Amino acid sequence: MSERENKTENGSMESVGEGTAGEEKDDKGLGLGVIFFIVAFVACFLSGTLLFPKLLYSKKEQPFNFDHALHVGEAGDCETCHSFREDGSFTGIPKLATCLDCHSEEVLGETEDEAVFVEEYVVEEKEVPWYVYSRQPDNVFFSHAAHTQTAGMDCVTCHGHIGESTSLKPYEENRITGYSRDIWGKNIFGIKKNSWDRMKMDDCAACHKEETGHKGYCFQCHK
Amino acid sequence: MKQNNNKAHKFGMVIDLDKCTGCGSCMVSCMSENNVPFKEDESNKKDSITWMRVYKLTNGKSFPDTEIAYLPRPCQHCGGKGDHGHSPCVSVCPAVATDYGYDTGIVSQIYTRCFGCRYCMGACPYHARYFNWWDPKWPEGMENYLSPDVSPRMRGVVEKCSFCYHRYQAAKDTAYYEGRDDIEEHEYQTACATACPAGAIVFGDLNNPAHQVHQIVKPDPHPDPRNKHIVGKSRNPKVFRLLERLGTNPKVYYLSEREWVRKQGDNYLDGEWDKIKNYHGASSHD
Amino acid sequence: MKVDRRSFLGLGLGAVAGVAVSPIGIKLTDDSSIWSQNWPWTPVPVDGEVTYESSVCSLCPGSCGLSVRKIDDRPVKIEGLAGHPVNGGGACLHGISGLQYLYDPARVKTPLKKNGDKFEEISWDDAIALVAGKLADIRKSGSPEKLACIADKEQGSVSGLFQRLLKTFGSPNFYTMPSLESYLELTAEALHGEGMTIGFDLENSDFVLSFGAGIIEGWGSPVNCFKANASRKERHAKLYQIESRLSNTAANADKWIPIKPGTEADLALGLCAVILENKLFNSMAVANFRGGLNKLAAALQKNYSPSKTAEITGVKVSDIEKMATLFAKAKMPVAVFGKGRGDGAQSLKELAAVHTLNCLVGNINKKGGAFVQLKSDYLEFPDESMDSIADAGFAKNKTGRYVSQLIEKVNESSKPVVEALFVYNANPCYSLHDAKSVKQAVGKVPFVVSFSSFLDETAKEADIILPSHTFLERLEDVPSGAGLAKTVVGLTKPVSQPVFNTKNPGDAVILIAKALEGSIAQSFEWESYDECLESVAGGIWDSLSEDGYAIISEGIPSGFVAVNVSYLADNPATIQAQGDDELILIPIDNMRLINAGIAASPFAIKTVSDNVLKGSDSVVEINPLTARGLKDRGYATLTTPIGKARVMINLNEGMMPGVIGMVKGLGHTLNTKHMSNKYVSNKGINVNDLIGPVIESGSGLDAAFGIKVKIFKA
Repeated sequence: MSERENKTENGSMESVGEGTAGEEKDDKGLGLGVIFFIVAFVACFLSGTLLFPKLLYSKKEQPFNFDHALHVGEAGDCETCHSFREDGSFTGIPKLATCLDCHSEEVLGETEDEAVFVEEYVVEEKEVPWYVYSRQPDNVFFSHAAHTQTAGMDCVTCHGHIGESTSLKPYEENRITGYSRDIWGKNIFGIKKNSWDRMKMDDCAACHKEETGHKGYCFQCHK
Repeated sequence: MKQNNNKAHKFGMVIDLDKCTGCGSCMVSCMSENNVPFKEDESNKKDSITWMRVYKLTNGKSFPDTEIAYLPRPCQHCGGKGDHGHSPCVSVCPAVATDYGYDTGIVSQIYTRCFGCRYCMGACPYHARYFNWWDPKWPEGMENYLSPDVSPRMRGVVEKCSFCYHRYQAAKDTAYYEGRDDIEEHEYQTACATACPAGAIVFGDLNNPAHQVHQIVKPDPHPDPRNKHIVGKSRNPKVFRLLERLGTNPKVYYLSEREWVRKQGDNYLDGEWDKIKNYHGASSHD
Repeated sequence: MKVDRRSFLGLGLGAVAGVAVSPIGIKLTDDSSIWSQNWPWTPVPVDGEVTYESSVCSLCPGSCGLSVRKIDDRPVKIEGLAGHPVNGGGACLHGISGLQYLYDPARVKTPLKKNGDKFEEISWDDAIALVAGKLADIRKSGSPEKLACIADKEQGSVSGLFQRLLKTFGSPNFYTMPSLESYLELTAEALHGEGMTIGFDLENSDFVLSFGAGIIEGWGSPVNCFKANASRKERHAKLYQIESRLSNTAANADKWIPIKPGTEADLALGLCAVILENKLFNSMAVANFRGGLNKLAAALQKNYSPSKTAEITGVKVSDIEKMATLFAKAKMPVAVFGKGRGDGAQSLKELAAVHTLNCLVGNINKKGGAFVQLKSDYLEFPDESMDSIADAGFAKNKTGRYVSQLIEKVNESSKPVVEALFVYNANPCYSLHDAKSVKQAVGKVPFVVSFSSFLDETAKEADIILPSHTFLERLEDVPSGAGLAKTVVGLTKPVSQPVFNTKNPGDAVILIAKALEGSIAQSFEWESYDECLESVAGGIWDSLSEDGYAIISEGIPSGFVAVNVSYLADNPATIQAQGDDELILIPIDNMRLINAGIAASPFAIKTVSDNVLKGSDSVVEINPLTARGLKDRGYATLTTPIGKARVMINLNEGMMPGVIGMVKGLGHTLNTKHMSNKYVSNKGINVNDLIGPVIESGSGLDAAFGIKVKIFKA
């Protein structure tokens, strides 16, 4: 009884007090809560959008720089080095042998990069360990012939304007998956402006749906 | 859904059980082609992964009237009731890790989607699906012979015969490059069909009258009047399918001159076999 | 302002809301799912350019053409080579799993030297010097004939080099393991004359009478036989299989004739008797017999009447008469001999008796029949340089005619009859009967050199191992020696860079010869084996190198073939099984396992039924009638005069009552303290530990077809 009285005396009084005064106080309390809410919200949202990508991706430099624009001018367009074999399979990133069609132990130009290439790879007969921006997981089967030959697509649609670049952008590797940032897309939300911004399964499926009316059967693209 | 200009394929095979020697080349060729792992002890056949498995059949009689035969059993790539693509395994997969391809009739298995619930293994009447209880492990150096055309699996994932779909992909690749629309019979053959030294396995497009498998099987394109769920019943009296009455509409047909072998295609109660043994679908259709 | 619960809540909710709306959620979910699919220990095979290379398999005498698919020069798949004259596409499971031999980490990776009970690695130079040194000592001691060599076969250039080494060294003691080819030659010698061999035109015959030959179980050139058998339906050809158990061949045959084990020779002679008695023989063929026919006919009439034959063999009189008649009246009949794979232990009486059927019906060198011709001799080795030691040594008699006799002599002598033993492509400590006593004999030889690629049972007894390339890493001529109607030499090519520090065995022999100097080195003037092969196979080299094969002979051989049946006319005794128990244990040839000496690959063992191998236990086949008290899948102990074993039981109606069957090819023990091969080793029992040799009088061959056995519940 006394406790209750105490409570009523202290607690309820206080709470009443708080209640009335607290309405103003509540506003302030709520306000504080809201402010904290907003602050936390913004902080987390921003860190998710801005800080998170910086933490998620590690920048890796290519073994040496490769000037696409120069080579397109000197040797020819995409198909010169990124070619099809007789059985219709795609060579992908060219092997040393393709480079040796023109290059040899004597440098052709004056760049530091070519010097590195010749010393460390041509002379040693070692393949250059390029980081591949468009590398897909093992379960993906992609037929270049179906897209560039039969569907008549051009390289830029999926790969962007790499051919016009004079330097290779750094390879941003996702620390969790090991794949390039180019697969999910530079935009952390996965929003894309150009067709070459993303290379996830949904992007392939969307284009398939548009062009053929069907997203495609699993086995068409997976193995 | 829109298809390509060509009519849909229906890849299947017919296996001549009189030519089959039970040698096991099909099993080994399949395992070699598809990066199937092996364990130190493979004598527990419940967890031994063999996409193609050769079973031993017997007529059950005692010496000296005993007879045996061998039956290679790959995934049957069922078309499901009415051949509408509702294969038993496809119908139950919660992850859509297995799906029916209407363009080829092949039931796909995508390892990265599968989370190993094994519902499909329960649904499959042919025990054609296998589970990776453990991570596959290859002895040091043997990983060099793995083929890049087939994804090696991790533990916790179901795998099964794919009718060597990667070979279809490669054949299409070549066809696209050469500007062709479609592929020839010899360009897409499964590893088991190529390997069989006796030539017992014939693989091809059941829908294409020019293909050998169609000519041997003579599949009835219409539903069986006695059981509307069954489509593609063979009009060759020596050809049968496993558990045909279930209506799974498998694409693997078997051929034998021996009646006791054909009778092994299902569990027949007394008298049932005689009712169906001479019935080969609707005779009114061509 | 007071920071209280609500503000704290606000903070928390704000954070959660912020994170939820930020891309962290979706991105991490997507990334985690990818991360969980990409464990670093799941291999990701590297893609590359696809090329195909042709070669020839040399795992068995079949010599099938192979096509090896390579990704960027890395072999990934082996298949049969379409268009190859031996197999025409298609390969057996052992050839297909060849890559598991190539990359096997349990291979011998570098030359080894025995030190106590361990092996230590040494360099090739040291190893060759050691071997040459020991050999030189033997030569100095004045008995070069005490160098012996056991190889798989006589044909081929690598075997030729071993023979050449022994000859120029001064030793006549070159032995081959029993093989179908060696038995074909022995049978031809008994009936037609020296230097001949026999082939069978199975793909054209309309009536094949097989005496236990495993036509679809690895007999002859397996794929070639599979195809001949598969075309039976279309050709309306018949196969009759005479065998004690329902083998796959018997099950596939048009008729299976169960027969008591070891009485096949008697049945064959019984059929000959019927053919002679009822004048069903080909009179023209028989008129040209050179000797023994009358004596044979008399002996047959006395000893092999239909009722006597029925009693011995268990085959009904009516069946005997019907079979003989069907066989003789067929348009293109052929009788095939060589139980199982045709290797191992065979009886010359049986082989000759069966082949006499061929001679009587006159199918010799006729379509669909038996082809008899001179052994092919497509290699041209230059003359050897022989010094006096070599001449003296080589002129001596061989220690024994066959390898089983060599082993016997070594075991029974107190002084070494063999000072040094080379073992190439053979595993006598595993594949000969009474393997334990063979191990004992090899152990007695002071210096053993093994050229094996694996640490097999014989290699484990060796003092030096000079490891050979597998067939996928070397160039070699591979003659098809397995009863084919045509003679084809294939070229096996290196489809891979050597994986380990091994050598082509031909190169090892040339190096040893060069190190021995003198006339021996003079006889081996080639710089390498590859150079040697190109020169000695000069006549067919263009064909070999361009097409991958050379057809030495094809089609029906021409020329007259003499037939002399005196051997059988002397009525040699049929051998009996050793022991005096009721039941008899016979070995079974299983297509999915290998008898010859190497272990079957992990893939092949994986396909073996659990009615043959369960865990590490051999499962034996026994008829339910014989297995009184024994339960299916239960354990039992087998006891023979040679050994004892614990086995699992498989009740099988296909096995004849009174007979127990155990598969060959299991029971390898390839483990040492340092290298283990758990995939193929210590599985089941080596049936050669239970069956001992029984020497056939007259021929001197080990003709043991089985052994008497006791079986009790374990």
